[in-house]
Order: sequence, then structure tokens, then C-alpha cells
Amino acid sequence: MTQDKPANTAAHPISPQVVKDLYERMVRIRLFETEAGKLMEAGKLPGFLHLYVGQEAVAAGVMAALRDDDQITSTHRGHGHAVAKGVGFKEMYAELYGRVTGACLGRGGSMHINDVTLGMLGANGIVGAGIPIAVGAAFAARYKSEDGVAVTFFGDGATNIGSFHEAANMAAVLRLPVLFICENNGYAEFTPQSKHMLLTDVADRAAAYGMPSVIVDGMDAVAVHRAATEAVARARAGEGPMFIEAKTYRYYDHQGVKGLRHPYRSQEEVDTWKARDPIDLLRDRALADGTATGAELDDIERRTRDEIAEAIAHAEASPLPDTADLLLNVYSG
Amino acid sequence: MTDVAVEVLLPKIGLTMQEGTIDEWLVPTGAAVREGDVLLRLATDKVDVDVEAEAGGVFHPVVPAGTTVPAGTLIGWLLAEGEQPPGPGSTPMPAGSGSLGTDAAPSADGATAFAVNGAVSLSANGAAAPSANGSPARTGAGGRLLSSPNARRVAREAGVDLTAVRGSGPGGRIVSEDVEEYLLAAAASSTAPVPAEPLGDPIIPVSPLVRRLAKERGIDLAHVRGTGAGGRIRRADLDAATPAPIPAPAPAPAPTPAAGRQATAPRPGDVVPFTGMRGAIARRMHASLQEMAQLTHGYEVRMDAVVALRAQLKEEWTDSGLPVPSLNDFLMKAAALALREHPLLNAAVHEDGIHLHQDVNVGFAVAVPNGLLVPVIEDTAALPLTELARRTKELAENARIGRISPAQLEGSTFTVTSLGGYGVDFFTPVINPGNVAILGVGRLKDGVEWVDDRPRRTQVLTLSLTFDHRAVDGAPAAEYLRTVETLLRRPLRLLV
Amino acid sequence: MTTITEAPAPAPDGTARTLTYVKAFNEGLGQVMREDDSVFVAGEDVAGYGGVFRMFEGLLEEFGPRRMVDTPISEAALVGLGVGAAARGLRPVVDLMFMDFIGVCLDQIVNQAAKMKYMFGGAVSVPLTITTASGAGLGAAAQHSQSLEAWLAHVPGLKVVMPCDAYTAKGLTVSAIRDDNPVVVMLNKVLLGSKSEVPEQIYGIPLGQAHTARQGSDVTVVALGRMVGEALTAAAELAAEGVEIEVIDPRTVQPLDTETVIASVRRTNRVLVVHEAVTFGGLGAEIAAQIQDAAFDYLDAPVLRIGAPFSPVPFSPVLEKAYVPDAARIAQGCRRLLERS
Repeated sequence: MTQDKPANTAAHPISPQVVKDLYERMVRIRLFETEAGKLMEAGKLPGFLHLYVGQEAVAAGVMAALRDDDQITSTHRGHGHAVAKGVGFKEMYAELYGRVTGACLGRGGSMHINDVTLGMLGANGIVGAGIPIAVGAAFAARYKSEDGVAVTFFGDGATNIGSFHEAANMAAVLRLPVLFICENNGYAEFTPQSKHMLLTDVADRAAAYGMPSVIVDGMDAVAVHRAATEAVARARAGEGPMFIEAKTYRYYDHQGVKGLRHPYRSQEEVDTWKARDPIDLLRDRALADGTATGAELDDIERRTRDEIAEAIAHAEASPLPDTADLLLNVYSG
Repeated sequence: MTDVAVEVLLPKIGLTMQEGTIDEWLVPTGAAVREGDVLLRLATDKVDVDVEAEAGGVFHPVVPAGTTVPAGTLIGWLLAEGEQPPGPGSTPMPAGSGSLGTDAAPSADGATAFAVNGAVSLSANGAAAPSANGSPARTGAGGRLLSSPNARRVAREAGVDLTAVRGSGPGGRIVSEDVEEYLLAAAASSTAPVPAEPLGDPIIPVSPLVRRLAKERGIDLAHVRGTGAGGRIRRADLDAATPAPIPAPAPAPAPTPAAGRQATAPRPGDVVPFTGMRGAIARRMHASLQEMAQLTHGYEVRMDAVVALRAQLKEEWTDSGLPVPSLNDFLMKAAALALREHPLLNAAVHEDGIHLHQDVNVGFAVAVPNGLLVPVIEDTAALPLTELARRTKELAENARIGRISPAQLEGSTFTVTSLGGYGVDFFTPVINPGNVAILGVGRLKDGVEWVDDRPRRTQVLTLSLTFDHRAVDGAPAAEYLRTVETLLRRPLRLLV
Repeated sequence: MTTITEAPAPAPDGTARTLTYVKAFNEGLGQVMREDDSVFVAGEDVAGYGGVFRMFEGLLEEFGPRRMVDTPISEAALVGLGVGAAARGLRPVVDLMFMDFIGVCLDQIVNQAAKMKYMFGGAVSVPLTITTASGAGLGAAAQHSQSLEAWLAHVPGLKVVMPCDAYTAKGLTVSAIRDDNPVVVMLNKVLLGSKSEVPEQIYGIPLGQAHTARQGSDVTVVALGRMVGEALTAAAELAAEGVEIEVIDPRTVQPLDTETVIASVRRTNRVLVVHEAVTFGGLGAEIAAQIQDAAFDYLDAPVLRIGAPFSPVPFSPVLEKAYVPDAARIAQGCRRLLERS
């Protein structure tokens, strides 16, 4: 890599464009997810729905630091990453509805939404499975002498899986341009972090692979964005992978909207995290420092709502897959 | 292996069977048999059939071979391992021939000593016995024939009844080669309809390769001496063998299931019992000659026109799929049409007089191993010759493989029998009881016609008409023959 | 990249070149790498050491570390790397050394590589090749001797090839790499040193096309991988007894060329399927089922399967020899199928 090492962006104030970009990405995620949750509760969507609400700052902060040709791999909780990477609402809702116009032609559903033209290499139904794939995508970029990077998102729970450790080590050994983004929402499904690892900071694991790491406030989109920007620049410069642990929180249950039948976490804990809602935080800050007006931000929200309504109508009007095409795309050629 | 003893009852074959003779038990007492194994050869007055076990078990006969009993009679047991056959009291034998209905089951009374509600119970002496009134469900005769799917396919396509085929595969399973060999032999037997003469043990140890080579070279393996281990025929043995058209029905044309397994021909010193078909033929022929006043006319007929027509049909119909009628078919049709003009020969003699039949149903004799059968063509005179040919061919084949049903052997009003294929010119056929005449067909041969003073070669054969003088006199019999000849000289009429 | 060229017929004058199985594989791989820069090899000890079976010898020297990549012993990450790189347009060849190791990376093979195209609505292809050494016979015991083709052939999206000799080792490997789907190439350890005629130029062998290795009329023997050679040995023995068996080498077990097998069975009416893998749930069961489905009416005997007994592969040579099917068992099976009294 011959690119000049960029300046440390953390020292610079965030531009109004970036603030509005981050805000828009988060609002798009939030509204997409809350509408999807309603549709699920209304019984309109088949299958599982792992909602991203609460964690928007991580997807928005990282994705705003990427180019379209940078690749990401996601998780079962992948809508936020897809939306933030730019995947269209129409393809996403249509996929949730199982329609042939969906992102996977109705073959994948929520956990396999992808758009390879935007570098979105798919949500993934297997915890930790996307991590080595991102390493492969990074390998491909370097193999082709491109300066693209690959970003893999995963949760705290996934760092207990072998593929994480194997992939982290391999990326480090091969010095590949990979960002390991751990969205630590404190729970592996319903098991609190304290019960699934003895570490307080997942980031400590990176050291085992000789990989630098940083911990950021996962409710603060600006902080995430600054860390990601720095890591991306580093990776593009050929300095190898980096690990970012974003401490964040999942508002809804592991699956679906409300599933608090078993009180695995307290209302107080939920309320504490919600008091630092990432969208509210950014809005307050933007209004306070004048990087955006209330009207501008409201307009973003209104436009997004309109787009979502249109996308849902499109999905509902879309045809179902033809059972005659059951074997479509099992093989290439 | 059954866990409850199962009764073996004499099956009722066909509508008219009243009683049957156990020709032979084909498994020894105490042998373990499986469902579908052939248990016995049953002889009725019409046909011989093999009866299969409906369940597995250790076989124990109740009546000895040679016994004639009514249908439905208990004739044996299939017992559980270690089980003893029930005592005499539990094996109800018919009080006398015909005293039980044709589908009568053994009386429950006889088995009360052992049976409790259909379950197996222990008798005083510790032996388990079946319940007579609650024994396992039965479905008439026959279990499952062991045959490979391919054998079934080949048989289906060739119209072969598998029960006539000997199985050579593991456990006696009929495999496709068995069917092919059967067909080969049947084809040979139909071109030269010599009654089957079993040529000794038909089981020839031979590899598939040798089988194929033999087939290709037209060598009948039954006539090849095997020099391999255990008499196995090796490739070299084939080279030493004379390639020849496969003679007569060699080892396996198994016209009835029984004959297929009957490994040996009667030898000097043997006693051939009057059982089954043999017995029926003996009784009927004897009765015929005892009862009727039979005499025979010999009458030479010119066959040139028929022979020429046949040759023409052969040529023109080659690719049409139409069956080219045989000489016998022409003769049957002629005989049948002539009967319409001479109804007295289409009759039956009863005590009150001669009953002239409404219909003309001509029977034709088919030689089968151990005897002959007479399938009947209904309304023979009305059938186009092609249809008649199709039916005679089908019935003859079925008769040879033992697949003929009793109904197809009933109702003849007149009979045609041919020995021409055997080189016989003239003979005295014996009238089938119920008919008043039978027409014998002799050998087709060269005759001479004098045109002025010059001899000309013609084709002739001799008809041998036996008639019952009680019903028909010599002159009308001769007139009938003349009508037949007229039809044969102008055979186009016979076609429709 | 899916263009397949079948090899020209070996030279008729007997001057054709012979090559060992492992060298044929190596040659084919090198030729594809020369032809297509997107092909690279990754795996443990594939580069510096040349592969524990010498499969990759000389390739580092020619292609350099960019295309010959040594990796940690991390099969999940290794296959994942292959999946990600394949999804990004490369043609990775990842080597798993021993087939027994697929257990530690099965998720990447089964849930990622095999399904990605389908799950993504066709948006990506995964032209990934996984090479691995399978088979018993070297005293490698239970964890280094298995033939697990049935596991993989069960997974929609995967292809599985089983070269039976040097010629197929080269041609199937070339086709596997050129194929746009994930393909597992099951090399056989015992055959690595075996020689057969191998054309020098690059050639592919069409995937999903069975090869009739020997024509015969009495029994069809469908043999997988190394069992093809055993079946041919059995054929020679049986020919001396006047029995001509037809030996069919499916070459690819997924997709399986059922048509060729069925056509043969319809002629011979008897069929035996033989593979090294345990009989229970093996490919033999699948092939038998397809035969009864398509050719039931042509069978003169039940389809006979010969495979390993239902146990792990034993270590002691005497046990191992008894475990793996061989020509004698195949010949015996054929005799059993032909048994007539």
C-alpha cells in the first residue's frame, strides 16, 4: 500500500455532513426495524426477526467510514448493517415478506439479506461464521492489489466461537485489511456477558493475536465513526487488522420485539441504556453545537417514513416465488 | 417362520372343481418352508397346479400323496418351530368324498382339545396347536412367487405365466434368464409340437457367459456334457458341442408348473399313476369308446388354394401385425362353417335324443406334456380368420404353459385335432364326450392330379372324421367332408 | 471459466506418458494457475513444504507466496477465507490435508460455501475448490483414513469428485477449479503413487459424467474412487470364469450421473455398488435407491452394496485389510449376484 497515512480524524471536529449522514443512517435503521417489528407482531412476516434497535450507532458509525467497494459480513442481527451499507428498503422488506422481489428472491429471509454490489456479503444465520468470510474478502482485495477493506460485525457471544479466534489469528498473521467490530450488547442471546466470559472487555482478546484494539461507546455514533475511520485508514495502508469493541445495547429481545417472559435482564438496566439512546444523543449534540437544525433532522425522519411506507406497500404487492423455481440457484451454471 | 400353526387346505381351482388329488408333496415332512414355497402338486380333472405355502412354517402333511379329497379339506400343517402336529382328533378329515362343501373349512369341533379363541394354547401334553376356528386369515391358494422384477417384466412382455417357470436364482427366485430359457424352449416346442419329454435333470450348472454363447450358437445346453467341477459346462465344452437348432422342448418348457419341476420322464419299470390329467384323459377316452358307436371316414382334400393363399398372406401381411393363419386355422374355420350346413354333426347325444347345438364352438386338441388339452373357440364360424388365428395361438400357448383356465376348456360342440405335424396321414380320433364328431387333420403332402395324361403335383391332406353313428350316418358324414373340402378349395370365404 | 475440454485420447503407439496420481494432480493445478491468475492455493504447509503428500511441490517456486499461501492450522478460518475470496471473484483452492478434518470446518463448507449462492438469491457464486486426502490403507487409523463423501454429497450446493487414477486426478482437479461451484476433490491416499497415462496438456473431465471403465454384460459394478481399480482387478478374475462385469466410475458423486448407471443396469440386470466408506448410509444406499426407482423392473437380484463395516477405520494392518473392500470381495459379490442353481 502506498497511500499516505491519513491524519488522525479524532482530533478534528466532525463535519455537519457526517453528523447528518450518521443521523440519517441511524434513523433509517430504527424506523426500518420498528416497522418490521410491528409487521412481525401483526403476523405478516414468516420466520425469525432479530432486531437491531438500540445498536444503531455502531452500524452507522462504521459504515459512514467505508466506501461502497469495502466489504462487510454481518450476523443474524443484520438489518442494521444492511440498511447502513445502503441496501434498499424495498428489497429488504420484500425479503422479510418472502417475496420474489426480495434481496434473496425470497430464498434467504431476514438472516441472509445481502447486496454484493454494495459490499454487503450477507447477514448470517451461524454465529461467528461471517468472520472468516470477511478475512477471505480482505484477502481477495489485497490479492487483486485493491485497497478495499473488509469489516466483520459480530457480538460478544461470537467471540467464544472458534471461527472468531481462527479468523482473528489468520487475519493478523496474513496482515489482512480486516476490521473486527464487536458489538458488545452484553448478552449472548439471553446469557449475560459475565456468565459467558470472564473478561470485562472483549477487546482484550485481540491482544492474543497481536492485533491492536480500541473500546468505544457504542451508543455514540460519532465516537464509533472516529474509531472506525482510524482503523479503516490503518487497514488500507496495509497495517493489518484492528479490533473495535463497541459497548452497546439491544432494546428488543434476542428475537422478535418483546419476549421478556423470562426476566433475564432488569427493566432498570433497559431504562438506563435507553436514557442514552444513540439517536437522541446525536440529535441533542447536533442541535447543541449547531451542526444540524431540528427541521433538517425532522425532514430526514419524514422522508424515511415515507420511503418505508412505500417499500412495505411494494413488498405486499410483490409476487410470491414460483414453486416451479424451487431449485433456482442451488448451483451455478 | 410362523408363530402360530397354519392349516393347509386343499385349494379350489376354478369354478367346477369338486375334488383334487395330492399328486405329490414337494417338501418333505419336517422341512422348513417359507411363504411362497411350492408345497404340493395338485391334480384336478382339468389341470395340474402347484400349490404354494401361504405362510412359513415347518411342514407336516395330514394326508399322504395320492389322496383325493374335496376342496377345502385340511391336508397339512405349517407349524411353529418346535411345535408338534396336532393329534388325529384335531385334524378333521372329510367323512367321505364330497361330503363337505367345496369351500368347507374343517370343523372346529375336532380341534377343541387344543384351541382357545384362536390363540395358541398348550395342550395337556405340552404341544401348542392352532385354533381351528380362529386360525390366521387365508386367501385361497397361492402365496407369493419368488421372482425378480426383471423376470416379471420379461414374462409380462412375453405373456409368460411365471408359475410355469422354474426359478434358478438364490432361494429358487425366478430370474430373467429362467424366463428367456423357458421362452426359447417354448418356441422350439411350438415349431415342432412334440409332447414334452423331460430329458433328465434340467439344472445345468453354467456361467452366464456360457449361457450367452450357447444361445448365440444355438446350442441346447441340455445336450452338452459339462466337464467342469460338478458337471459345470465350460466354454470349451461348447466348442465340442454340435451347434444345432434347439430340439424339442428340451429341459424346461414346463407346460404346467408341475412338469417344470418333474425332473425325470417315466422310465421302464415305473408305474405312471392315473392322477390328474392322465386320469381324466383315461376316464374320458374310455367312456367315449364305451358309450358311442364310433367310426371314421378318411377323405383326401386338395389344399393348393389354401397353401397359395397362406403364402400370399405371409408375404402381404409381414409388416401389418396381422397374424397369418395356420393351416389348422383354415381347417377349423372350414370345419365350423361346414357345421352350419350340417347341424347334425354339431350335436350331443342324450338319453332322450340328439340335441343339436345352437352355437358352433370348435375345440382343438393341444398336446401338452403328460397329455393333451382341448381349448375351445366360442362361435368359431363367426370369427374372422385373423381373430381365430389370434385366439388359437394364444390358447395353445396358454395350454402349453399351464395357464389355461377351466372355462377355456369347456363348452365344445365339435373338435378338430391335428397330427399332421407329426407326420400322420390318417388316424382314428376319439370323440370328446359331449360331441358327436371329431375331425382329424393329417399331414400336408404332395398329391397328384392328372391333367389329361400328364401328372401334376398338388398339395393334399387327409381328413379323418370320426363320428358317432348313433347320431350321424355315413353319408351325411361324407357330405359334411365334401362341404369342408369345397370351402378349402375356395378359401377366400374362410377369411371373413 | 466453465469451458470443459475432454482430454484427447492417449497416443495409440504406446508412447503415452505415465505419471503418478500426485504428480498428475500437481501438474493440473499448476496448469490452471498458469491459465488463470485468480487461482490461488491456501492451507497448512502447502507452500513452503509443498504439501505433506507432495501435492503442491514446486508451486511456491513458480507462483510465489501471493498465490501459494501457508496458513495456520485453522480449517474453519481457512475454508472461510476461501468462501470470502471466492465470493469476491477469486478461485481459491484450499487444502484440508486429511478429509477427516472437515469436521472442524463443516460449517464453512455446509452452511456457507454450499448455500451462499442459494441464500443470496443467486447474487454470488462460490468457485471454491477444497482438496483433501481420503481413504484407508496406510495404517493411518480412525481419524486419518475416512471416506466421507456421503456427508458432502448430501449437501445441496456442493459438488464432490473422487479421482480413481492419475488421469482423473488431473482432469477432475482442473474441472473442479474451473467450476463456479464449491467442489470437494477427494484424492485417495493409497493411490498417490499409482501411475497411469496422463496427457501433458491441460484438460478437464466433465463433472457429473460417469465413465464406463470396462464394458460387460453380466453385472454392473458401480465403484467409487479407489474401488474402481479394485473392481477392474475383480473383473479380470471374473472374466477367467466367463463372467463379464461392467465397471462404472461415477467420477463425480455429486452431481451423480444416474443415467449411465441405469442404462447399464437395464442391460445387465444385476448391480453391485462398492465404496470404501461404511455401507450404512453410504452412496451405495443412494445409488441403490435410484436404481430401484428407475430400473426396478430390470433387476434380477437385489442391488448389492459393498462397503466398510460399521466401525471406525482400524489401525492394525490385519484389521484394516479386512475392513476395506477389495477385488476379492467385489468378485465374490458378483458371483453371489449371478448365483443360479
